[in-house]
Amino acid sequence: MTNRLPWWMGGILMSFLLLLTFSIYGADRAIGASTYVPYAASLIFNLDPEKYSYINHIKDSGSWEGVMLLGVLFGGFITSVFITKSFRISLIPTAWKTYKNNSITSRLLWSFFSGFIMIIGARLAGGCTSGHFMSGMSQLAISAMIFGGVVMLTLVITGKLFYNTKGKK
Amino acid sequence: MADIIFVTNEENTTVMDRVFTMVENVIHMEHGSVALVFLIGVIFGGIIQYTRVDKFEKIAGFSMLKDTIIPKMLFLTVGLTSIGLYFMIDAGGAHYHVKPIILQGLIIGGILFGISMAILGKCPGTGPVSIAEGRIDVLVGAIGGLLGGLVFTLYYDDFFKPLMGESLGKDILTDYFKGDEDMTAIIFGLVVIAIAIAIPKIELFDEADLCRLPDDKRPDKK
Repeated sequence: MTNRLPWWMGGILMSFLLLLTFSIYGADRAIGASTYVPYAASLIFNLDPEKYSYINHIKDSGSWEGVMLLGVLFGGFITSVFITKSFRISLIPTAWKTYKNNSITSRLLWSFFSGFIMIIGARLAGGCTSGHFMSGMSQLAISAMIFGGVVMLTLVITGKLFYNTKGKK
Repeated sequence: MADIIFVTNEENTTVMDRVFTMVENVIHMEHGSVALVFLIGVIFGGIIQYTRVDKFEKIAGFSMLKDTIIPKMLFLTVGLTSIGLYFMIDAGGAHYHVKPIILQGLIIGGILFGISMAILGKCPGTGPVSIAEGRIDVLVGAIGGLLGGLVFTLYYDDFFKPLMGESLGKDILTDYFKGDEDMTAIIFGLVVIAIAIAIPKIELFDEADLCRLPDDKRPDKK
């Protein structure tokens, strides 16, 4: 048994999962993975749906994705322990040390900041890599193509500016 | 900070009670049983973990153009699904769930999302998988994300909703090729699959993971 799947196998399997989820015999909806975050925030902080219209707006999607998230955590944990053997407690990625710095404080502060704007960004656009890029583009949606193009471009520009890649392989 | 006052629900419930309410919501929806939705999550997390696309080296690596597994797998997924889904919908086996074209929201949101994806090296789908394999930095990112979600919810009506702009409709590509819908969907799918195959395969490996594998199973030594 190999400890990782090739990209093409991952693509085929992910495609089957998306089709199953879209199917009327499956969940009859698209896979999404960013609505659960503000929904989880509303659960944790016990926000009043009467006062904040956004909670009612996302109640269904947020709940669905929330249950899916519990599955994602479970599936990711089991696979990392028994198949990829990659489970370990870690504070800083190897490539961060190579291309950015060795400071744990720097990594954690940047993580917090980027996590914060990531969810604001995803909710402004109405989706993320799952909801827009995978599910949206698979439906030939123009909204997903605009989002995908902007994200890819910004991602690569940020990578060039943020990391120090000069003279490193 | 004194002017920020949360309006909380007056019902005296614990977080656990509210999580049960979330599960009940899914039971009352017509979008699959709780077990199926959970299973979809397990498979989703399993595929992401097993292909290792949740790794910082894959996503931040792509932003530095040192790893192309992410775009190759994403484009292949989209290409295959788009053809399959088009004919499934045609046959009545599925429905469209298209998101609106909110131009300002898509562009401002896409820029914020692209910047943060490069820095965090995760997205909202792959992040939880990394947390499940013990990455504390991503957990800190998720706490930032929860606060982002909180701020978005608190200021949605006053600030974020006007910022997103009006919807320009829920157009899909085939709307512009009336009469040739089938052909358009097939060509789109094939072109996207061709892009996935054509992108040169380059990989950035993480020694911290690979050193735990036996030599003959190391992908960088094949």
